[in-house]
Amino acid sequence: MNKEFTPRITSFLCKWCSYTGADLAGTSRLQYSTSIIPLQVMCSSRVDPVFLLKAYLSGSDGVLMGGCHPGDCHYETGNYHTRRRFALVKEVFDSLGLESARLKLSWISASEGPKFARVANEYTEEIRKLGENPTRKSIFL
Amino acid sequence: MKNKKNTVLVLGAGIAGIQASLDLAEMGVEVHLIEGTPTIGGRMPQLDKTFPTNDCSMCILSPKMSECARHPLITIHIKSTLEEISGEPGAFTCRVIEQAKYVDPVKCVSCGLCEAKCPVKIDDEFDVGLRKTKAISRYFLQSIPSEYTINPSHCLYLTKGVCKLCEKVCPTGAINYDDKDREIEISAGAVILATGIDPFNPLGFGQYGYHRYPNVVTSLEFERMLSASGPLGGHVVRASDDKPPKKIAFLQCIGSRDEGIDRNYCSSACCMFAIKQSIIAKEHSKDLDASIFYMDIRAFGKDFDKYYDKAENHYGVKFKRSKIADIVELPDGSLDLKYTFENGDIQHEVFDLVVLSIGLQPRTGSRKLADKLDIRLNKFGFCHSDTFTPQETTRQGVFVCGAMNNPKDIPESVVSASGAVAGAVKFLNLGRHDISTGEEEIIEKDVSGERPRVGVFVCHCGINIAGVVDVKNVAEMAKDLKNVEHSEDVMYACSTDCLELIKERIEEHGLNRVVVAACTPRTHEPLFRDTISGAGLNPYLFEMANIRDQCSWAHMNEPELATEKSKDLVEMAVGKARNLTPLKRLPIAIDPEALVVGGGLAGMTCALAIADAGHQVFMVEKESSLGGNMKDIFFNLDGSDPQQFLAETIRKVEDHPEIRVFLNSTIEDIAGYVGNFRTMFTNGSGQQEELTHGVVVVATGGSEHKTTEYLYDESSRVITQKEFERMLQEEKFPPGKLREVVFVQCVGSREEGRMYCSRVCCSKAVKNARQLQSKKSRANIYFAYRDIRTYGFSEQYYSELRNSGALFFRYTPDNKPEVEKVHPDDPESRVRVTLFDPVLEKDVVIEADLVVLATAIDPPEENLKLAKMLKIPLNSDGLFLEAHVKLRPVDFATDGIFVCGLAHSPKDMSESIAQAKAAGSRALTFLKKNSILAEGTIAEVRTDRCSGCGYCEDVCAYAAIEIDPEEGVAVINDALCKGCGACVASCRCGALDLRGFTNEQLFSVFDALEIDAVEGIV
Amino acid sequence: MSSINIEKSAEKGINDLLRHLLGNGKVDAVLAMRMVKSSGAWDLALVTDVKNLAELSPLAPVMTVNASQVLSNLSLSGKKIAAVLKPCELRGFVERVKREQGSLENLITISHTCGGVFPLDLVVEGSVDDLLHKYEKVVATGEIPSNIRDTCKACEHFIPMNADITIAAAGECKPGHGCMIYINSDKAKEALLECTGHHGNDLLDPISLEKLAAARAKEREKLFSSIEKDCSGLDGLVNIFGKCVGCHGCSRVCPICYCTLCDFESANFDYNLPYFEEHLARKGALRLPPDTMLFHMGRLTHMSFSCVGCGMCSDVCPVSIPVAAVFSRTGAKTASIFDYVPGRDVAEEIPVMIFKEEEFPELG
Repeated sequence: MNKEFTPRITSFLCKWCSYTGADLAGTSRLQYSTSIIPLQVMCSSRVDPVFLLKAYLSGSDGVLMGGCHPGDCHYETGNYHTRRRFALVKEVFDSLGLESARLKLSWISASEGPKFARVANEYTEEIRKLGENPTRKSIFL
Repeated sequence: MKNKKNTVLVLGAGIAGIQASLDLAEMGVEVHLIEGTPTIGGRMPQLDKTFPTNDCSMCILSPKMSECARHPLITIHIKSTLEEISGEPGAFTCRVIEQAKYVDPVKCVSCGLCEAKCPVKIDDEFDVGLRKTKAISRYFLQSIPSEYTINPSHCLYLTKGVCKLCEKVCPTGAINYDDKDREIEISAGAVILATGIDPFNPLGFGQYGYHRYPNVVTSLEFERMLSASGPLGGHVVRASDDKPPKKIAFLQCIGSRDEGIDRNYCSSACCMFAIKQSIIAKEHSKDLDASIFYMDIRAFGKDFDKYYDKAENHYGVKFKRSKIADIVELPDGSLDLKYTFENGDIQHEVFDLVVLSIGLQPRTGSRKLADKLDIRLNKFGFCHSDTFTPQETTRQGVFVCGAMNNPKDIPESVVSASGAVAGAVKFLNLGRHDISTGEEEIIEKDVSGERPRVGVFVCHCGINIAGVVDVKNVAEMAKDLKNVEHSEDVMYACSTDCLELIKERIEEHGLNRVVVAACTPRTHEPLFRDTISGAGLNPYLFEMANIRDQCSWAHMNEPELATEKSKDLVEMAVGKARNLTPLKRLPIAIDPEALVVGGGLAGMTCALAIADAGHQVFMVEKESSLGGNMKDIFFNLDGSDPQQFLAETIRKVEDHPEIRVFLNSTIEDIAGYVGNFRTMFTNGSGQQEELTHGVVVVATGGSEHKTTEYLYDESSRVITQKEFERMLQEEKFPPGKLREVVFVQCVGSREEGRMYCSRVCCSKAVKNARQLQSKKSRANIYFAYRDIRTYGFSEQYYSELRNSGALFFRYTPDNKPEVEKVHPDDPESRVRVTLFDPVLEKDVVIEADLVVLATAIDPPEENLKLAKMLKIPLNSDGLFLEAHVKLRPVDFATDGIFVCGLAHSPKDMSESIAQAKAAGSRALTFLKKNSILAEGTIAEVRTDRCSGCGYCEDVCAYAAIEIDPEEGVAVINDALCKGCGACVASCRCGALDLRGFTNEQLFSVFDALEIDAVEGIV
Repeated sequence: MSSINIEKSAEKGINDLLRHLLGNGKVDAVLAMRMVKSSGAWDLALVTDVKNLAELSPLAPVMTVNASQVLSNLSLSGKKIAAVLKPCELRGFVERVKREQGSLENLITISHTCGGVFPLDLVVEGSVDDLLHKYEKVVATGEIPSNIRDTCKACEHFIPMNADITIAAAGECKPGHGCMIYINSDKAKEALLECTGHHGNDLLDPISLEKLAAARAKEREKLFSSIEKDCSGLDGLVNIFGKCVGCHGCSRVCPICYCTLCDFESANFDYNLPYFEEHLARKGALRLPPDTMLFHMGRLTHMSFSCVGCGMCSDVCPVSIPVAAVFSRTGAKTASIFDYVPGRDVAEEIPVMIFKEEEFPELG
């Protein structure tokens, strides 16, 4: 894959932890790839599995879900539900032979600016290796 | 008292000060929050994680910090000191000095250019010197307020008259070297002190080698080393060689429990702090070897023992009960620890890093402050307060909370803060109030039926954004987006000028949706929402694109890509904005009455706190009299008289015009929600009665565990602490002289079935032993214990007891003391107690006249029933589980329900009183309002699509959704919904949606993400 | 618990059983398959009069609709009903009960070891006597008939789970040994106290069904491997679902798709003209109907872990997409990560409604 390829990673970030962590990465001037396209939600549990499918099918090279660490959810138990639903979607992907590596779940706390930047960069590299999502330029139904 | 001021001054903006301020403000009280440092937050931001849940400290604190900063009734004074309180309670005049900040907070946009250019490097106080900061800086990255300040003692211009670099680079002209200290006067009805503690400084205690050996660090330094946002980025390395340590020793009680240095108290938090750090360190590096060297592990709080157990048995942290004899540095920087076990064995062990678990001590300058404010300190230098009035200082109208009056952990600080508020409220003149923003209402434009007309404002933020992103290009692109009516770039979107401009543009172009592309919604969304509100638009018709914090700052070297990303972000925001709809925060009326379940000390104290504030309280007690467990307590360690206090309290409750007591009564059902509860109960005469009320306080207490161990059932000489205390009171001892008395601790506690510490038993046993000494001074006293947990100031009584000759034998659960009758057939026979002495390593046999068992505290069985009725959770021990173990210790996740006393967890009298007042205070934050506003961002049901499957009901953590049994569809309780959206994503039928984050809105964001033209249809 | 042996064929035995239940007022109605003699059509009949019982063919290998769908509302009517269900119908019903779409309270569930059902197009074509005759012979010996639904051949759960009454049919029904009725609940025991026949304490012996189980497992592997190639990425999926005409028939007949209105047919996915215009502008092309892949994948996330493999979806697909094969294959995987078996126990909670604090450590 050519080096110039900038993946597009739709990133669902929960307001209380991951979005704040992403802000902290910026405030700390930590540099990470522009591939991360943030989308704030109140809680990672707001993200319907269908959103992941929709993002995937409409051309995202990767989909990142950021939530509070297990036990830390601002809404008590939301991220536990997120984790189950994510496991479910990943399994559906695997069973259909789709690249489940295009989906990633990461727990990033409000103080983990460095982790956010690291995850952003590592995941971008991972997606770069996978290459462009064919759904970007073709309509798959 | 018509001069009463509905203003309170809170000194110290740590977690206690923040909590006190928020509680007061929510009751409608104006608050001046005075803080010495340049930020609110106190100690918590320095912490990486909190025990026993390993919650991220900043994650839980930052919402409270923002709430505090945003609250219209709270004025924050940073870099300020309280100099004097004059006048009378209810009408104090407080003299405050606000130090010069040298940066105009209105102009400062927190861009950080000044800090980058500032040539003066100084030790960073926040990172305890592990990192450098500049003479112009923020205290830490997430400081609130976020504006910069200059440290005048290091600034080159202010000290030497040269430099002015910051002034040159500041894009907004915010630097003001001429700024002066200002003296202000604040009239306040009451004052709450929450200045916190200082960590013990081990410098000058040569034996630990601190500062002499680079690899000896304090626990606070280690905490910053562990923190992901700390100076090492969470990668712990040794200062001597930058290598990750493989073996870490934690030394406990550094600066605590030490008579030699006048600190004969336990700092209460360090054991758990060390356990937490050892767990986190192990999580960072699996093969790390961590050892904790200790005297007693004081894991006395709720769920603490389970955490201790997890550290030892799951993480493999080694616990070594021993005394450190010596620390010697080896040539490679490692440290040779010499330590002695209790049997006298001496061992050497080499560690890569030694962490000193430093204690908590009064803040430097607290003596001076006490003199200025005319309050008394105790002998250790903490603020003095009495057992029965834990938040009152010696000066009327001045209250204390947090660790300022004794060393305590975060939840106890929060509890004491709310408790102090309950005291302060008595000096105010509070009626019920309507919620208002303090500004006059602007009539909202009706935009329904209009097609979306979006206005886009792209901010340069000086060069913060424009230095990387081609802002003009982004603004230009936005003009072509569907429904965009107007788009322009602006220098500082948040400047007063620009806010006015946005309002003008709304008028000019008839905009009905606004998008600002600038910094982060986290800090600026409220400001912009207010602005469009001022122009008559519903505040929810606003969307922000974060092109600074999550774009220009993060992609400084990729201007083109950053510009492209900014365009995407703007397009996404426009996509969402197009589908935004006005949201209303609907008012929910609040019944002004409270129900208190339980008439023990906690219930009564809470009821009085609420009733004294002018609210009717219904108290339902299952027994025939008030008083609960306190009826069996006759002595206190500090000599105060519990029975006298109890009698006074009962009289106050019974005589109070606002309190109705229902004895011999059982609750049958509680329905409803915050502000609107309905309770059915059976009263003393067996009739059903109904009550309506706005809040519920759960104070169901606890009871002494009924044991069958140690011949309790078979011998009259084996009794419980409770029975012993009554015996001491009535002076009715068993026949014959009392020569040998054995105390057995942890009976039923800290073992299978009750994996928790009952917290009070160690202090209670020490108390009763001392009481015995004062009556029958010749009895020999023996303690069989596992860890002595006389935390806080109780430690001094424990050491006095030890010094008086009482003997202490530590036992382990697999080697418990054995008790048998000397004469098996004689019911009054003395009993033979066999104890293993770990010092001599052999059994000791005592023919005891009396064996006193410290039995566990059990939660009452009816908790389960109540939990079901109120839909509130219990933990695995059957204790009520609060909303958050650290920061919401008396609240439940479900609004309007509170907990205090033993129902929450075992605690002593003073702690129960503090918590009961806190629960009262928290209840008043609701009761003092005529109505509360439901969230705007809440879930809604489209009943025509709902199949009533109940997924949502199960997923909701707030009991905010129910399936209506009649209609078979989901019904959302607007008052309880927190707007997380977990239910929405669980809904299979698409019957649920989250206002402000609807499927339609999010789908239009996905559409904006489709950028590539199609090359084929497959 | 206990058993009754009626010295008749399984078909006649079950009719006796139903007659006993309805005739003695143990139930108000009986739900079972029926062939409408005049037209040769099949339906599910609700019989309230004993004299109509003779029309029923409770063990017929035909499924016109997964009975759990029909039973949902019936079960809430307050009437006592004896329902003869195929194991997958019972499992489907249990899944529906978990979703508040029915109740077991007033039901006596009767199920049987199942030999599978015919595809619908086979039984609606004229006389079925011959078909049935051959089927019975094959099934009784524990073999798999060649002309049943693919998913039936591959079904591992042909022994009913949690039926009040189980009839030995497929595999265990030895000619001349009569009709074995196994009683599994107190409710059934009480209803059958005075039922004629030889009362005993026999238990259904899964061992005797091992041969059939093994054959089914083999078929299952075969079925799954037949779509394996296409379950290997986007292109493969296009091979499978490319034909989809978006009729959503598969979800309409699905016992697990209980939604009043399918989300994918709701306004969320009901695109209007401006949407199409915008997409056309963005992508330069459109495919209609849109979201077919999203529909199938979405449905997999919605219900695959509860899929009972009844095969209705494949049966009704107008373009012969192997929907059931894909869904039961993925379903087996999604259910297993949660250690879930659809229909196993009404108390077993639906995996997406619950969680464990410590699980899936590899995620996040």
